[in-house]
Amino acid sequence: MKTLSSPFIWIILVVVGGASLLPILTNSVSLREDMFLMLMLVILASSINIIMGYTGYVSFGHIVFFGLGGYLAFFLMKEFQVQFMLAALVGGAGASLIAFFIGIPVLRLRGAYFALATIGINEAFRSFFTNFDLFGGAVGMFFNFSVYDAYGGAKNAGQLAYYAMVVLALVTIGTSFVIKKSKFGLGLMAIREDQDASMVLGIDPARLKVLTYTISAFFPAVAGALFFFKNGLIEPGPAFELHRSIEALVMVMLGGYGTVTGPIVGAVVYERLRGFLITDPTLSNAHLVIAGVLLLLIVLFVTAGVIGWVRQRVPALRRYLE
Amino acid sequence: MFSKMTRLLWIGIVLVTLLALAACAPAPTPAPTAAPPTAAPKPAATTAPVATAAPQATTAPAPTAAPKAAEPKKLLLGFTASQTGAQQVASKKQIEGLQLWLDDVKKAGGIKLKDGTTYLPEIKFYDDESKTDRVQTLYTKLINEDKADFLLSPYSSTLVKAAAVVSEQNDKVMITAGAADDATMEQGFKKTFQLYTPASRYLTGAADALKKFVPTAKKVAIIYEKDSFSTSVANALQPYAKSIGFEVVLFEGYDTGTTDFAPFINKITAANPDAILGGGHFADGTTFSKQLFEKKVPIQFVAILVAPPEPTFKDIGDAALGIIGPSQWEPQVTFSAESAKAANLPYYGPSNKAFTDAYLAKYKESPSYHSAGGYAQGLVLQKAIEDADSVDPAKIVAALDKMNLMTFYGVIKFSTDAKTHGKQQAHGMVYMQWQKDSAGKLVTQIVWPLEAKSADAVLRK
Repeated sequence: MKTLSSPFIWIILVVVGGASLLPILTNSVSLREDMFLMLMLVILASSINIIMGYTGYVSFGHIVFFGLGGYLAFFLMKEFQVQFMLAALVGGAGASLIAFFIGIPVLRLRGAYFALATIGINEAFRSFFTNFDLFGGAVGMFFNFSVYDAYGGAKNAGQLAYYAMVVLALVTIGTSFVIKKSKFGLGLMAIREDQDASMVLGIDPARLKVLTYTISAFFPAVAGALFFFKNGLIEPGPAFELHRSIEALVMVMLGGYGTVTGPIVGAVVYERLRGFLITDPTLSNAHLVIAGVLLLLIVLFVTAGVIGWVRQRVPALRRYLE
Repeated sequence: MFSKMTRLLWIGIVLVTLLALAACAPAPTPAPTAAPPTAAPKPAATTAPVATAAPQATTAPAPTAAPKAAEPKKLLLGFTASQTGAQQVASKKQIEGLQLWLDDVKKAGGIKLKDGTTYLPEIKFYDDESKTDRVQTLYTKLINEDKADFLLSPYSSTLVKAAAVVSEQNDKVMITAGAADDATMEQGFKKTFQLYTPASRYLTGAADALKKFVPTAKKVAIIYEKDSFSTSVANALQPYAKSIGFEVVLFEGYDTGTTDFAPFINKITAANPDAILGGGHFADGTTFSKQLFEKKVPIQFVAILVAPPEPTFKDIGDAALGIIGPSQWEPQVTFSAESAKAANLPYYGPSNKAFTDAYLAKYKESPSYHSAGGYAQGLVLQKAIEDADSVDPAKIVAALDKMNLMTFYGVIKFSTDAKTHGKQQAHGMVYMQWQKDSAGKLVTQIVWPLEAKSADAVLRK
């Protein structure tokens, strides 16, 4: 409870929550779509940050949980007409359970071996869903539009999915902060700095890492459920797209790994930059090249990311800027 | 602080990320976005016959000198195009076809209503990178920020599925080309209309052709890309092939992006089929055909999806010879005002020759069915506006529901059933084959159906 008395987290939550209200206040559907995507990326980046930034385990294939949550929830909604929020939560819980069982063996690996294993897991699940007809196989699953009637029509369903995404983003950020400031988080950072030394201090790395992996799987899974509910269809390719995982890693590095604000800043900057480049008539042909060069510059000159750099340069802010 | 090993790992991550980004770097593509299309290079009088203003006396007032002609109103058509990513080849062709239609409408003075109001279409499009999440955001932008009056589709079933959801959520009329997936049009859409023959009918004609061309054929191998569209095609083909007496000795999918078909070719050789049917999209279809040729697979009948109808398929040289491809349209098709009359249907738009000549003059290469689909998107919308005598979406939907006509692209009629509303009903496939002409040059010929053939089929080897 003492953790939550910190003004920092409330400021962050108010800023994110306030920004999320903008599309509603301005009644802009376009802005709402942008914000939906941005909040989804904030959730993905913050979740990866929990396992990567705090624990030092680079999960390249973390997008697997986005796809798993999406598939489980979509299946429940389509086959059993489960209400979308309930389905999303069940999808999240299911993905967490899978993460728990995967985590036990996989988190014994360290460094590059772990990173490679996560890519393998994502590919394995993609292949499973591509070949398993119960989940639609390669064709995937889709809703009949009448499904949205229960939510006041397709337009209203999009709005509801947005509200749910806002709440999920706030919960993800809050959880990230609570973990960082807790004894549990301290244990994770000890593992990140030196796992063997942390064991000497009485930390049980295996238990902490599995728990962290399980928690960090929940949020992308629920985000996936909301994303595909709004989309009205799910296919293996978009659900387990490795490229999205890599982008989320870039966002974490851009904003500052191991910080609470970093993934938020990284996701917003990256998405705005990409959105601008892709729709700009003169720059759209080179948007990936420009993004690559920017990333290179950041990695070379601002290694700690934007938030890390600010914390280094302005020591007075370190107490307030997590 | 981080250890040396950790730093090395970070450097590794950065390098991998950069490589991933570099791998996705776009190939040089034409003008990126928005705005009206580039001016046509004015190929003298060669484009003259193109005038699309409907040939029937029923349509549009004559575009003659109208002294009190009102200022034309802008009609914005929005869509996304894959200028980068896996779908860029076919998507580029689709845009070229659409731009040609736009040129023709401009030449004809715009789309005219009976009260004299003239609408001048303009297009606005963004690069969707061949990705679904981009498509949805960009279509929302097109609808809400750019205020597109009507929507056209991106290329490929997967992208159209994503776009159609946004379009329906926003009550916009969308004409789709480049999307044949049956499932897309079985979602209960109300304002989405499909021009392509559905995927379930893509290769069934090839099985019929096989029966005719190789009467002794008994065994077929179905090798397909494991994506939504190709899987739909293969799933419809398998029971059909069995129902007409073929044994399916191999039914195997390959991942999107597959470049090495050796394991599949080995399996094909072991199964010893009489024909190979399947494929997926351009890149994999081309590679598969090339590797079949390189490995000298002695199969007489090979029908591959999507890739063969593209003019650039001939770049693989003799590997293209004998390959058959299902096509939504080919330059040799025989749809005309006369055949429309015989079918008791109205004919609308340019003749097949006029379209093909104009395309050749503008782009210096033959149109593919993707190009024709792009043109037909605009043409069908134009006809619907003229029939509705309005740009009111509800009236346009009613006009599209009633539509039953022939164009250079084929017969167009949409389903009005609630479950499959907007799904294409009347348009049929033709099957083309790469053959050599008398000068030894690779050319395409329609070989099936027999009543539409421009040449006899040639068996491989």
